[in-house]
Amino acid sequence: MIQVEDLTKDYGTVVAVRGVSFSVGKGEIVGFLGPNGAGKSTTLRVLAGFLGATSGHVRIAGHDIAKAPLAARRALGYMPESAPLYPEMRVSEYLMFRARLKEVPRTERLRAIGGAMDRAGVSHMAGTVIAHLSKGYRQRVALADALVSNPPLLILDEPTAGLDPNQIRDVRALVKDLGSDRTVLLSTHILSEVEATCERAIVIDRGRLVAEGTIEELRARQRSTGLELRVRDPHAAAEAALTAVFGVSVRSGVTEETAPDRRRLRLGLDAALDADTVTEAVVQALTAAGIGIHALVPEQASLEQVFSALTRHEPSAAPEQSAETA
Amino acid sequence: MSPMLIIAKREFRSYFDSPIAYIVICLSFFALGLMFFFLNGGFWQLDRASVARLFESAPMGLSFLVVPVVTMRLLAEERRSGTLEMLITLPVKDSDVVLGKYLGALGLVLILVVSTLAYPIIMFKWPWNLGPLDAGPVASGYLGMILFSAAAVAVGLLISALTESQAVAFFITFFVLGALWLFGDLASKAGGTLAIFLNYVSFQSRLNNFWRGLVDSRDVVFFLSVTALSLMVAFRALERRKWA
Repeated sequence: MIQVEDLTKDYGTVVAVRGVSFSVGKGEIVGFLGPNGAGKSTTLRVLAGFLGATSGHVRIAGHDIAKAPLAARRALGYMPESAPLYPEMRVSEYLMFRARLKEVPRTERLRAIGGAMDRAGVSHMAGTVIAHLSKGYRQRVALADALVSNPPLLILDEPTAGLDPNQIRDVRALVKDLGSDRTVLLSTHILSEVEATCERAIVIDRGRLVAEGTIEELRARQRSTGLELRVRDPHAAAEAALTAVFGVSVRSGVTEETAPDRRRLRLGLDAALDADTVTEAVVQALTAAGIGIHALVPEQASLEQVFSALTRHEPSAAPEQSAETA
Repeated sequence: MSPMLIIAKREFRSYFDSPIAYIVICLSFFALGLMFFFLNGGFWQLDRASVARLFESAPMGLSFLVVPVVTMRLLAEERRSGTLEMLITLPVKDSDVVLGKYLGALGLVLILVVSTLAYPIIMFKWPWNLGPLDAGPVASGYLGMILFSAAAVAVGLLISALTESQAVAFFITFFVLGALWLFGDLASKAGGTLAIFLNYVSFQSRLNNFWRGLVDSRDVVFFLSVTALSLMVAFRALERRKWA
């Protein structure tokens, strides 16, 4: 649905996006992830046709946005960051205006508007003037607008920004639901959002693509740095046995209150060594000491850690500013 | 309906969804009444069956207040609030956006212009008949006023396309249209080439012929050219986002 090749966008001297390439396939829900100011909104604005690319090519549903902008825009529903709407219009009036401009056929307009309002949960607000709506409802009206022409592709720029936790949950559920029959690209700087709704993530930082892959692939990029053990250790000999293993440090050892011979251990692994080799050595050392292993769980890196590892940079290593216009 | 007309219709309606249309229309009529009957002695002192005073004072009010107020928000406000982004990312051509907004604003101004027909009708047709009114200069005067409105609104739209601030758009439009109006007064005090130049670009001087019942194709072409040029530059200003 989306092919981006070597996209670069600069605002005069400030380079906002440089050499970004990625693609989004049909039916995927992809998270576009990055810290504030990474170039997310700029990239999405180029995809939506609001800004022109300085260089590079973008194809939306097979249409080059520079050569066939109208065909490309017809295929997508776009929701900008702050969900800007005309405050003086009523919700249904506004959606009617948008549906007309989106070329929804006259006979289907009312049904399309009703359906979009239902899905976005604003049907009961149809007659309300937009200026009187709360931020959460405005966001939903913008979402209904993105849906009104039933486009095969949705581009949502920070759809949950500024919402309360309940609204965030609703919007996420809606996005997931929408993703069942169409392609969704959504930007966010909140990781749990990507974990909760997306199958795949594209991470950009300071205008560059730094990682791309499924959530599992991204997690796997961060090697496991710890082990959690549950052992049968009647003589409290485990710690002593483990100190002999190279590359392991015991972070904590707790005896279970209900079963005095059971212990829980947390081990730190030396990041310079191969985690699998060290794990093997741990098992051997414990077995040799006559300690029974009940469970061994590698500490899974959270997406949070992966994200900060990918986008962490020394302050001095940022001579070129990146920009994200508000 | 074409996208251009859909946008024009929304723009036109939005004036009436806010107090702006009502305030502009009411106050304009109040001011026009004062100028018509009292300024420089007023209509009665003229002692002629003529509405030339109407044609003199109405465009001045349009230049200095109505057009700047009506056009200041056209693109500046949309750009600031972000609704421009919503509009541009629709399957709609940029030219449709510019022309749609232009027609919406021009619609409001023309309503005002057409309503002033009340003056000649009420005073010289029914219920009063104050004298034999020569229909020729009235017709040409209205033609001039419509052409003038088309050009002035286009200039206002252009200026609104260049800024994000309604206040800045208002002030610059006020200044530019005001200058183009006053150049006519200035020309009579200046001499030589300067006077010719000032008369050439002044909206007031251009309208003078229309008031006297003279439709000169050069004046018609002048107003139409200003309109077309302003709309083209506004269109380019809107497109600039693609490169800059």
